[in-house]
Amino acid sequence: MNVTCSDRDRIFEDGTAAEWAAMEAHAASCPVCEEEVRAWKSLSVAAKELRDYSDSPSFWPRIERALAEEAARNAQRAEHRKWSPFLPSFSPAWQTAFAGALVLVLTISGWLIFHPTGPRVENDKSLLQSSALKEVESAETAYELAIDKLAAEAKPQLENPATPLFANYYEKLLVLDSAIADLRAQAGMNPSNAQLRHELLAMYQEKQQTLQEVLEARQQ
Amino acid sequence: MGTMGLALPWKARISSTPREPAAAGRWGRRVEPSEQIAGGPSAAAVDATSEDAALAAACRSGDLRAYERLYAMHGVRMKNLARNVLGNPIDAEDAVQETFLKVQRSIASFRGQSSFVTWTYRILINTCYDARRSRLRKKEVANDDSEETPRMEPRAPGAHPTLRMALERALEKLTRHQRDVFLLYEVEGFRHAEIAGMLEMTETASKNTLFQAKKNLRLMLEPPRSSAAETR
Repeated sequence: MNVTCSDRDRIFEDGTAAEWAAMEAHAASCPVCEEEVRAWKSLSVAAKELRDYSDSPSFWPRIERALAEEAARNAQRAEHRKWSPFLPSFSPAWQTAFAGALVLVLTISGWLIFHPTGPRVENDKSLLQSSALKEVESAETAYELAIDKLAAEAKPQLENPATPLFANYYEKLLVLDSAIADLRAQAGMNPSNAQLRHELLAMYQEKQQTLQEVLEARQQ
Repeated sequence: MGTMGLALPWKARISSTPREPAAAGRWGRRVEPSEQIAGGPSAAAVDATSEDAALAAACRSGDLRAYERLYAMHGVRMKNLARNVLGNPIDAEDAVQETFLKVQRSIASFRGQSSFVTWTYRILINTCYDARRSRLRKKEVANDDSEETPRMEPRAPGAHPTLRMALERALEKLTRHQRDVFLLYEVEGFRHAEIAGMLEMTETASKNTLFQAKKNLRLMLEPPRSSAAETR
């Protein structure tokens, strides 16, 4: 086989064994090709300088440990999937999204349970208070009317007291009426104040007791 | 190409005899200087193929001894290749370890369209370039723009340390494919058919890329024309 200088690059790139032999034979008589062939092969020889096949005794054990850990993790995941047949179909991202949605639903449910819807609850409370207040006020009115009847019966003895005892009862009833008037005024400004209502009731009971004593004293 | 010689430090010391076949195991053997093989696949090639398939099957079954066999056959070459791409042995070991883990994770998806070892090296090369990119990003974040290419750390003294350093610097100036093909063919001793599988290119492209790589390396390593003229 005859080759020339013009064949050199083609042979360098993809020459057959026969073509390389022919090129070397040609290079023996061609200084240019001799230098080119030598330089070309020099690069291959130089490349061997980049070989360092020394092994590190700790390197394989390190890789083996990493592989074993990964295998153990995979086995754990496989075991988990065995018991959770639905999970494998969801990626970790979807699982996170589902968990987030669940937390959101639980939070909203908890909020609704412990913080019932504002306007409706407020109305219920208002109705309840209003209803209780009406009951108290009507009981007070009835009680007041009943006491007024007692007061009407005792009125002659109190307005013209025959004894110092009746005079004392009269003064006590004036004080009680004054206290009852004060408490009623306060209760009018704060109708839902149960403490005022209790105090008012106590005053009425005291007035009733006093009037009964007046009537009993008249009979004696 | 001119007639001037390379001003390579090894010029006076290396012979022009054909290089020896790559002494890197069965996967490194190739026909020199051409790769053309007459006839069908040799018995050794058939053995290699069946052993490759057996190794893949054993790895797929989760047998750690299969991975150890893979390491025994290719570990040092893988580390050397990673070292030449990444520039230091620590990053190289990390890349090789990561490659083994990736092989373990994705062995189920290996369909045997290429050889198992070729597939493994493809993963290694991609892992190395991922590491290079990651390193570059870290440098950008740290505003350290002092160098964009990996700094070659000193390795065990070889026969021609000056030559090695000159070659390492020149390799960094090649394109990625030129560097990869040069390293895989000239340093690691793979055949173009194997390189084509690793780099997902044709054999012809692999040969052409090697040719371009060596031409560029010659240009980078040869002295300026004037000084070359003086030496003659």
